[in-house]
Amino acid sequence: MNPLSLDQPWGRGSAAVHKHHFAGDTPLPDSSWLPRGLGRSYGDVCVNDGGTLLHTFRQDRLIAFDTTTGVIECEAGASLADIAEVALRNGWFLPVTPGTRFVTVGGAIANDVHGKNHQHAGTFGRYVRSLTLRRSDSVSELKPGDALFSATVAGMGLTGLIERVRLQLIRVPGAGIVQQTKLFGRADALASVDEFLALEAASGDWPYTVGWIDTMHHRLRGVFFRGNHCRGDLAWHKPVPTTLALPIDMPGWLLRPWSAKAFNGAYFRAQSMNTAMQSELPLWQFFYPLDAVSAWNRAYGKRGFVQYQFVVPKAAARESVTQILTHLRTSNVASYLGVIKSFGDIRSPGLMSFPMPGVTVTVDIAAPAERELRALDRADAMVADVGGRVYPAKDSRMSSVMFKRFFPQWRELEALRDCNVSSSFWRRVTSDGSGK
Amino acid sequence: MNIVIVGATSAVAQSAIRIWAAGQHSFVLYGRNASELEKIAADARVRGAIEVTVHAGDIASVTYAQTAVANLSTTHIALIAHGSLTLSDRADTDTDYMASEINVNFTSAAAWAQLLANHMATHGGGSVAVISSVAGDRGRYSNHAYGAAKAGLSAYCSGLRARMWRRGVHVLTVKPGFIDTPMMAHVTKKGVLWATPEAIAQGIIRGIERKRNVVYLPKFWALILLAVKHVPESIFKRLKF
Repeated sequence: MNPLSLDQPWGRGSAAVHKHHFAGDTPLPDSSWLPRGLGRSYGDVCVNDGGTLLHTFRQDRLIAFDTTTGVIECEAGASLADIAEVALRNGWFLPVTPGTRFVTVGGAIANDVHGKNHQHAGTFGRYVRSLTLRRSDSVSELKPGDALFSATVAGMGLTGLIERVRLQLIRVPGAGIVQQTKLFGRADALASVDEFLALEAASGDWPYTVGWIDTMHHRLRGVFFRGNHCRGDLAWHKPVPTTLALPIDMPGWLLRPWSAKAFNGAYFRAQSMNTAMQSELPLWQFFYPLDAVSAWNRAYGKRGFVQYQFVVPKAAARESVTQILTHLRTSNVASYLGVIKSFGDIRSPGLMSFPMPGVTVTVDIAAPAERELRALDRADAMVADVGGRVYPAKDSRMSSVMFKRFFPQWRELEALRDCNVSSSFWRRVTSDGSGK
Repeated sequence: MNIVIVGATSAVAQSAIRIWAAGQHSFVLYGRNASELEKIAADARVRGAIEVTVHAGDIASVTYAQTAVANLSTTHIALIAHGSLTLSDRADTDTDYMASEINVNFTSAAAWAQLLANHMATHGGGSVAVISSVAGDRGRYSNHAYGAAKAGLSAYCSGLRARMWRRGVHVLTVKPGFIDTPMMAHVTKKGVLWATPEAIAQGIIRGIERKRNVVYLPKFWALILLAVKHVPESIFKRLKF
């Protein structure tokens, strides 16, 4: 569970210098600090170059769990892994979970994370009943509806240090997931996106839906997954401990377009050989396939990677998703692990929350060089033109101009930012505005 | 089972409590910081512990240990985890500091081990796990005072094990190497020698279950210390590590 380095984000590839402090040690640092959880953010929202990182890993205790109402109270450094295990033993589970359980509750709120059930459940922030926020000049308990609460959910840590949280969990029948898979993408790229959207639309009874797409393939072929909770096996209540680890960094010459094509092709063939349309599996495997390998970020080499995630509004989705992905492919950008998913229209309480009703796509780009970065800048413009946005929690490269187009409400967060809190991300994207 | 933890706020102890809590045991926790102990107790309850009692006090005091153990009910497992990383340079010039550190790291830990072992012997047996250190295997330049106290503790446990095994009490000496605790977070580039508190805690629990005598955690430290112990003193005195 240890991050490779406390100074880097999960996407690596950047060098930053920090002073390290611990949440719980009083007083708060008196200049430029940033709360930091388990450092799983891909980009520089969890980096504060030249300043202080305020680590929450000693503040990771569970405080109380009401097993009749499903409300769990914990310190903000508690990991979703710990909460999920305790909850599951009592017939509850996380209402929303990202693709790794090794994140803190504080981080999940600060980035207002979403999961495969966004259409049904919305974002993580919707389940926060209350939170305690420590700012340089005050400590207060915030509830949904408070202006500072809205700024803190998806506030990227900038409003202060979240200390305690009360979170509403959901009832589940057990630790199993019934999963169905279906291949899509037999005609062309546009038809492929249509096919995916139709599969999703026909999955109303399935809370979890997601598609894997081969962004290196001209037809944008892919695999559609949908899942629902089921009882499963009692032995599934405990996750299989993480024993696999990547001992070395992947050498850079292996991370080229040809290898991305080969990797994606191999994955697609493996899926197409799997003829069982429906299976039951432990929910750990369904939600967190990559958690089985610790330090999997080393697979992308020393120079790190960018995880590019954008969302485009519903009306524009089918054309612009196709256009943007075709643009990335024809620019010869090597992308792995493409993921496509629709967001529903359940509103988040977070002022700066990323999801909007529409379609979101995520691709991993290893060791991006000048050419890849230019291609991503063009993709940003295509996203902005249809009124979409790019996910700050995963970003390390978007321009300040683009950020402000994606999030015109950023000034409201700036107004409520704790004056002593800052991050490399915030300085970068607000640099030529009125921000610090 | 009833589990007693001395020095419950230490990172390794907290990790061990979390692992044990899921197995539905009862705990008595001793430590110095009352509010931290309460948080750890709440955490253990949420994770499945049946009953958790906390006692905040001067655990480095032998008198405190005597009273505490006298009031204990049947105990099956005890983990003695308190300690203080002595600053060698300060111990060089401040012998009051040196003596009080040796009291924390050796005298008080040995007293708890002795008292708890006696208590278990009269209440149907049990296991006492004592956290010593690889530092106790040989006095080194960089931690002579800490190493000496841990050497004393390891020796005490070895003798205590011999005196207690026929009375049904198992004594486990735990010798961890570098532990990646929050206190050590300033070392941001840690090599392969560093282990997490979770890994150390798992090793301790395994050692108790398998009734081991001495465990180096992680295991490779046994090899390193074997080498360290065989360096001739004439050379060893020139080494600054």
